[in-house]
Amino acid sequence: MDQALSMVTSYLGFLFILLCLGLILFFCFSDSAREKIKLRAIQAFSRYRREVDLAVEAGKRLHISLGRGTINELQGGSAFIGLTILDRCARAASNSDRPPIATSGDGTVMVLSQDTLQSTYRSLAAEQRYDPTNARFTGLTPIAFAAGAMPAIHDEHVSANILAGHFGTEVALLTEAGERSQSLTVAGSDSIPAQAVLYATAEEPLLGEELYAAGAYLGGGLAHTASLRMQDILRWVLVAAIIIGAILKLLGILA
Amino acid sequence: MKRILPITNTVIAVISGVFVILGYFFPGSFGGIQSVLIGWAIILAAFALLLGIFNLAWVHWKKVSSEGKGHVYSIVLLISMLIMIVVAGISGPTSALTLWIFNNFQVPVEAALLALLAVILVYAGVRLLSRRPKWNSILFLVTVLLVLLGAVPLYFLGTIGPLNAVHDWLTQVPAVAGARGLLLGVALGTVATGLRILIGSDRPYGG
Repeated sequence: MDQALSMVTSYLGFLFILLCLGLILFFCFSDSAREKIKLRAIQAFSRYRREVDLAVEAGKRLHISLGRGTINELQGGSAFIGLTILDRCARAASNSDRPPIATSGDGTVMVLSQDTLQSTYRSLAAEQRYDPTNARFTGLTPIAFAAGAMPAIHDEHVSANILAGHFGTEVALLTEAGERSQSLTVAGSDSIPAQAVLYATAEEPLLGEELYAAGAYLGGGLAHTASLRMQDILRWVLVAAIIIGAILKLLGILA
Repeated sequence: MKRILPITNTVIAVISGVFVILGYFFPGSFGGIQSVLIGWAIILAAFALLLGIFNLAWVHWKKVSSEGKGHVYSIVLLISMLIMIVVAGISGPTSALTLWIFNNFQVPVEAALLALLAVILVYAGVRLLSRRPKWNSILFLVTVLLVLLGAVPLYFLGTIGPLNAVHDWLTQVPAVAGARGLLLGVALGTVATGLRILIGSDRPYGG
């Protein structure tokens, strides 16, 4: 009985992934003809875009922190969003005197951030701008990671910090460093304690799935807007499932 | 070569990703290859950690050699790193001397920063009211205050029954409901991110 239940759950999970994939591909094809897809305004991304322009004009730097999640675990998902943001920042600030810097607390994510910077500059035919020390590993433990990233915010003429990845409550040290250096902090995380801290400490917090919409808002391409539409549809499906489940439980039909 | 390498990277990443995800749903058929791939990933992650440490040393070496702002701290970091590598290399990572250094230097420094974190969070709570003077900020702060007051016995007053009941209700009902809502959003976002990498749309590996 248990084995049959586990098999059904596996098949359902696989079908769910196939459904997500199907929806992304469907929206990729159906939206390819559309000129522009309207997204609801998220203040954090509007301010981020403005700050990027100002940073380029003022000769200041952008700092992107990718957190300390490792890609071998579930927390890696949010670090990938950080890498997308890093790519967009490097493109937007390609004319700036000071290229963006990325900090992380995991070796693999550090290597990936170096790769992202290198491939972005290569695609812009500006490979000479690539400096491997602009993608930094700052520490292994949560506090060491935050302590290592703080000097980058304080000392390197940073005008905006984008914190996108897996953090814990130590993220408050980074937002406080941003506050003290009078730079904008846009921050989001997959962790609930970090989101609570960011709500209180960050100038522009990104809550829940807002972080995962970053690619679509920063011009990441069709796949990003398609996946955003997929998330919107499935969110409504989940809302309906939760409400139906609650009603069935209330009526005593569900045990 | 510059063209072939990104394509090869993408093909390897997509095929590996497909096998790993299939291994989760059908462990009988794909569990073996999934374990092998995850094993390789763990070995690569360990090597990446070494690269990370090398990167850390390199960044601070550059700072010292250019006499950048705060280069004295970089000297301290490099000397500490060297001492720790020598000590742990000779006597082992769990030897008495290595643990003594860890417990008497690393632990107190991290504890001090954690204490600082508590002050920062209190200050941020107050600052929130001036930065975003909206009803949801007030609700956030009132909830924090109620949960804190209900979580511990108060000086002179001891535990207060109604506050404890409010604390239990807040942490077990609205907090759990809100957290689950946020986690569902995060889960959908993570699935979407993973699928974009699987279809080769996002290529954070130099593709």
